[in-house]
Amino acid sequence: MTEIRNPGMSSATLGQSSDSGHCAVDIDPVEYTLRKRLPRKLPKRRNDVYVNMKTDFRAQLARCQKLLDGGGHREICVHGLGLAINRAINIALQLQASSQGALQLAANTSTVELVDDLEPEDPDEAAEPMTRTRNNSAIHIKVFYPDP
Amino acid sequence: MFTGENVVSGHFLTGGAFKPHQGLEVNTSIQMENGQRFGNFPPFQDQIYNNASVPQLENNVITTTFKPTPVVVPPAALKLGKEGFKKVCRTEEHSPCPFPGLPTGVLEMRVKEGSKIRNLMGFAMARMQGEKGFCGAGEGGLRQVVFTGSGRAVTKTITCAEIMKRKVGSLHQLTKLQYKVVKEVWENTEGGTSEMTVHRTVPSISILLSKDPLDPQEAGYQPPETLGALWENKDGGTTPSTFKRPPETLPFDSLPYCKRACSGEGVS
Repeated sequence: MTEIRNPGMSSATLGQSSDSGHCAVDIDPVEYTLRKRLPRKLPKRRNDVYVNMKTDFRAQLARCQKLLDGGGHREICVHGLGLAINRAINIALQLQASSQGALQLAANTSTVELVDDLEPEDPDEAAEPMTRTRNNSAIHIKVFYPDP
Repeated sequence: MFTGENVVSGHFLTGGAFKPHQGLEVNTSIQMENGQRFGNFPPFQDQIYNNASVPQLENNVITTTFKPTPVVVPPAALKLGKEGFKKVCRTEEHSPCPFPGLPTGVLEMRVKEGSKIRNLMGFAMARMQGEKGFCGAGEGGLRQVVFTGSGRAVTKTITCAEIMKRKVGSLHQLTKLQYKVVKEVWENTEGGTSEMTVHRTVPSISILLSKDPLDPQEAGYQPPETLGALWENKDGGTTPSTFKRPPETLPFDSLPYCKRACSGEGVS
């Protein structure tokens, strides 16, 4: 699939990269500027919460809590990518603790492909922009009230 | 050491939710939140901490075995490193295996923060794929393997499980999350006499991968992956409906499961 290059962006929720064991580590002979592309924009339902490392933890926790209490959703789904996996798990466990055991958790894991754009540092260099793909882990935790 | 938000996530105390299964050993009286979401802890005997502003750090709940004094103090994990304390040892408290009815002949891979993935995978793959020389009887490999990790090793645990799923296809997965209590002993490098025992609750994950089918009704079950299966499973196979976002913002319009996944209401 061809991917559109968004100019000049920074990494949003990318955490540590995982060693997939497939690709060998290659040293760039030419200096490149590395630009991380944002992960694929995933569809977002009302009860989807994507956790990141930039927003305050308490704010994200409060948002989840509000969705469960006020929003009237029977379940919410907490997603985390890379470094935010820890935070997502923490949020889910906190929600469960504060509900006094009424909530249940179901966790699914997946792999997300991330693409880096490598642009040559020196415009005179006869190097062409390359893209490099790497994999990162993601977790999706369903927090729900079990059916009686 | 501690690096701000990357700290091993401790436990975030909320109102009155001290549950026995979390396994927190509270030796001192802990004052619960004053309308905040932080626990306040007594300081250590020979060190006084300022009641600084609540740090950005998420959750670092530490219970100590020292005698409490009335002064409140913020989570002291950051101060431990600065005040010249060195971690002597760290032991994990044993918590029961979260998988019910697991047979005993299951390989348990404990993933630590410093574990090298290629070492872990080398061992696990050899066991699962059953080299003749490895398993004495030459049965052709184990049927099940459990990856467990806590604190900073959680991401690595998930990565190991994902790699194994990719290499050994069609594995059934069961994922469980729980808190683990970790006991750390810190020693003062200068003083030499004072010693601290810190109890920290950290989130931990256990992933069971099995060649045999598992119970699909169990919470955290994930079938062997087919393309688009993850989104379909999350929705429970709901009928396709329109996007919430305009289509041109999604560069991956061609993928069928994108269209299906975004529905008005979530699955109840």
